[in-house]
Amino acid sequence: MSEYKKVCLMYRHPDYAIDGIRSALGLAVENMYAYGVVLDTTLPPFDDNTVESIEMLRDMEGDILSTVPANCEVNSLTPITLEELGEKLREMTHIVPYGIR
Amino acid sequence: MAKSLGIFVTTKESFPHVLGITQAAKNKGVKVKVFFTWIATQLTQHPDFQKLCEIADDVSICVDSYKKQGFDPQVIPPGLTEKKMATQAQHGIIIEDYDCYLSL
Amino acid sequence: MKILNVYRSKPDETVQKLVEIVSRDREADSFALYEEKPDYDQLVDKIFAADQTICWW
Repeated sequence: MSEYKKVCLMYRHPDYAIDGIRSALGLAVENMYAYGVVLDTTLPPFDDNTVESIEMLRDMEGDILSTVPANCEVNSLTPITLEELGEKLREMTHIVPYGIR
Repeated sequence: MAKSLGIFVTTKESFPHVLGITQAAKNKGVKVKVFFTWIATQLTQHPDFQKLCEIADDVSICVDSYKKQGFDPQVIPPGLTEKKMATQAQHGIIIEDYDCYLSL
Repeated sequence: MKILNVYRSKPDETVQKLVEIVSRDREADSFALYEEKPDYDQLVDKIFAADQTICWW
């Protein structure tokens, strides 16, 4: 039995972030450590479905983070710096720059 | 050489690369699985989508994304079957079971 | 650990920074997918020669 996969999805474009978060949840459900990171873009307040998806993801030891402080304030994403993200990526088995930038 | 490649497609712009890489990999005897999600499900309307389905070993899409992109889930695009109108679990299969992984 | 960095467009500062950290003390190769007529045959060889492939935006 191989060890659990660790996957980090990253989103830089607002049109892709919400679905990308859903995609991260889909992987967590499949027994992987799944993380999503929002870069560059400031997202509007999430709807109830997205809030619930993030809560479920966190319950499964995953997380949604952001390098943009406004996302952490408005949508309670976990703050991370670009340097910290780089270090986190080194631990991942799969790295997914999601969508376009 | 490893024997399988999984491709997770999230962008419309990547289609020529998906087709080119799939063809090159098949020429080398590699098993290829492709999964389309979100905006990339619009690629089911691409003139070469059916060709990709013929070349690759397995092509599936996220049916929920397909619906959100304005398509009728009852209308199955040429090249796919009802079973290939699937869920994000297909992405999980690519990650767990395939030797190499690409996101495009 | 051998990393293959594939660039879907010309890497900007953010991508350069992340590539620098991810590739630190590791063997790394790269492939520019945004250039005209990419050699997919060569890319497939590189993918199978690497332990991990990252397709940057």
